[in-house]
Amino acid sequence: MNPVAIVGTGQTRHARARDDASQAELVREAAARALEDAAIEPRDIDAVVIANMELFEGRAWPELWVGEAAFAAGKPCVKVATGGTSGTSGCIAGIHQVASGLFDIVLVVGFEKHSEGHTQTGMTLTDPYWDRAVASGAVGNFALSVSQYMAERGTTERQAAQVAVKARRNAARNPYAHLQMPALTVEEVLASKPLAHPLRMLDMCPQSDGACAIVVASGTRARKLNPRPAWVRAAATRHEQPFIGDIERRLATMRTLREAAREAYAGAGIGNPLKELDVAEIYEPVSYAELAWYEALGFCEEGQAGRLIEEGVTEMGGELPVNPSGGVLSTNPVGASGVIRVAEAALQIHGRGGERQVDGVRTALATGYGVYAWADAIVLADRP
Amino acid sequence: MSAPVHVALEMDQSWRYAAPAAMARFCAGLKERRIEALRCGGCGRRYLPPRPVCGNCHLPLADWVPVADEGRLEAWTVVHVPILDPRTGRMREAPYGMGLVRLDGADTTLNHFLAQSDPARLAIGQRVRAVWREQLAGAIDDIRHFEVLA
Amino acid sequence: MSAGALRRPVYVSGIGESRPVPRDPRAIPEMVLEAVQAAYADARCAHTDIDAVVTASVDLLDGLTASNIAVTEVVDAVMKPETRISSEGLAAALHAAAQIASGAYDAVLVVAHAKTSMADYQGLTRWALDPIHVQPLGADFLACAGLQAAMLADGDPGAERRWAKVAAERRRAGNGTFLIPSSVEEILLSPVIAAPLREGMCAPLGDAACAVVLTAGSAAVRLTGVGWDLDSHALGERDLRRWDGLRRAFARACAVAGMDPRGMPIDLVEPSCFYPHEEEMFRAATAIGERAELSPDGGLFAGTAPVVAGLSRFAAAARGVRAGRAKRALAHGAWGPAGQGQAVAILQAGA
Repeated sequence: MNPVAIVGTGQTRHARARDDASQAELVREAAARALEDAAIEPRDIDAVVIANMELFEGRAWPELWVGEAAFAAGKPCVKVATGGTSGTSGCIAGIHQVASGLFDIVLVVGFEKHSEGHTQTGMTLTDPYWDRAVASGAVGNFALSVSQYMAERGTTERQAAQVAVKARRNAARNPYAHLQMPALTVEEVLASKPLAHPLRMLDMCPQSDGACAIVVASGTRARKLNPRPAWVRAAATRHEQPFIGDIERRLATMRTLREAAREAYAGAGIGNPLKELDVAEIYEPVSYAELAWYEALGFCEEGQAGRLIEEGVTEMGGELPVNPSGGVLSTNPVGASGVIRVAEAALQIHGRGGERQVDGVRTALATGYGVYAWADAIVLADRP
Repeated sequence: MSAPVHVALEMDQSWRYAAPAAMARFCAGLKERRIEALRCGGCGRRYLPPRPVCGNCHLPLADWVPVADEGRLEAWTVVHVPILDPRTGRMREAPYGMGLVRLDGADTTLNHFLAQSDPARLAIGQRVRAVWREQLAGAIDDIRHFEVLA
Repeated sequence: MSAGALRRPVYVSGIGESRPVPRDPRAIPEMVLEAVQAAYADARCAHTDIDAVVTASVDLLDGLTASNIAVTEVVDAVMKPETRISSEGLAAALHAAAQIASGAYDAVLVVAHAKTSMADYQGLTRWALDPIHVQPLGADFLACAGLQAAMLADGDPGAERRWAKVAAERRRAGNGTFLIPSSVEEILLSPVIAAPLREGMCAPLGDAACAVVLTAGSAAVRLTGVGWDLDSHALGERDLRRWDGLRRAFARACAVAGMDPRGMPIDLVEPSCFYPHEEEMFRAATAIGERAELSPDGGLFAGTAPVVAGLSRFAAAARGVRAGRAKRALAHGAWGPAGQGQAVAILQAGA
């Protein structure tokens, strides 16, 4: 693929309900910040990609209404919607559009305003002949695969709670993050309300209102717009079969993320991700998922994820900090969540991470997760 | 700062979903307490729910094979929060057990309710059996739930 | 290399359709599978030859959360990259062309599908309009088209009969399965549905799926020009009598194809016109004269489905080029109220 880099990022303050802003205003807030970060004007944008799961707001073709807020009026603009991976797939769409030669600068904006719709209703329009009759919701579905993962790997509830605590501790250093719980303890996570055994309230991501944007630029423009562009070294996507029962031991195997990561590492020349990556922003809707993803992403051998969290390997200051932003566990506007992963990974390479900056980041990973097992993996670096 | 203004819009939509031919046959079988899966001629995988093609081989599926109403519990949870039942619009009562069951004769697993909702009495590997309703309507919840066999 | 060109050539290798019908009794995946299998057969390719998939569908039309879940297996996206461009089918094809030009993939399957028979389509389009200022008024896409037609008909007493004639002519050429009036007089007697538009003037909407295989490897039809555009949403901010968005999309497509938009030698035009006044707006925006053949199979007036329309026009244009009826063809797609979203593809013969 032709050289492409992320040169600017911007996001809103995320919260349970952003009553002060419409969906379009959230989009504008993030887009304007990304433009400011890249020091470009609206006229510099050649095309726009919007990412959103419109059923959560009860909308159709949301780009029609919010496109203008993303500076898209009179410009090429389409919308990407692939469930939880909407944001990462939207970023990859923007990357492909720049690499195609069609555009020099593409703005990607992901957003969700859960408070303006009914997310649970939006998620129940599953297969009308099967899943609607025997539904257990997003939390219940996840809990099923957690039971398999725990049984196979010997993962403990305490290890998962440590992931939840790490996420919220990191979020406290991120002024945009939704949940602010700097002093959260493992005991508090373990004492929180049971949702679906063994998942508890504080093991789960919240629902947030928010938006996030990135500026993607061609190789020649990138060098002029940012002293440290975040170059796209590789991007890979894998989708999976449609029913939850189709996927063999989902969390324990996660063949989609495994394959996407393998392809992305090969493209980026990464042999040992734990050593060669400097930071990772991964899409972990549940504490246990982060542990499963450590293994699928090759950070450790199967069964060793618990040790990684116990030994602080993925903490700030550890060998490979995972989710300095606080992750999806702290902030989850679904259509934006994937864009946030990519933006936060890019931010670390730009060296603009403020209090959540990891020292000397040269190579960063961002991943997306959606539906039952759809996955994206993107490797960014300080060199093309 | 003035108070936020909310525009209230209520959505009331309905859709007519056509049943895929394979699903229609499967549902007709349920009315006679018969469970059938579709076997892929490429990889041999026996699929529940039935569907038009094997996603791995992209081959059309037409080879029906019988499946038992007993199998192995491959995953389980107990749901504590009531969730919306999309067919009734009401909340489903909690807690309830939920499992992935690999029926004897199928390769994929079936997500369904469990009679048991005590975590201490559920374990992966348990044998489970379908408990059918008295009145059969030709839908997957003609099976009320699965019970753990002693 | 400066922006505005495809870095790699892109070809159309296969086309497949599940032709529009008023009500397809099959489920969405079955309808889509017919189109995908036909496209693979046409491209003489196996599923292992396809690197990636781009789909086009809209959740609210299908009544499904992430409606691409329901088609993942039939569109052959298991363990492959799939991108859903939930805007319009032609926009999805143009994005797939960008993927190939980027060097990311060599062969991409593009699939669009919709079943308007499942629900109240116009009622659903209300949920696409500005929910603060417009949706509470009860407007839908049809009302927006009516406003546009009314502005064009103002001071033009011949408009109604002329539009009826456009619809009648197109329908005579088509062999659609829709029971719709096809004579000018019948059309002028059909009920007014959004003044001045009458029911008989409009493209009838039904159920359809379309699939196209795009490749980096050479084939009989080459995709040389791509352009798309999103105009302002508020109807009051646009001059509704003109499709400025189409003018921009067309200019971009010509620039990518390395051609002068004035005097473009196009022999075949396949516009996405759901209403007859749109055909006049299409001609004005693209300055395509009477010389080019326009919708020889009746276009959308013979029956169509939203989201699928633009990709089906792309398929029709590619068939025309492949059959030697045209050296260069234009396909057009549109979505949103009064054509807010616009997409243009330029197809040419050979390598």
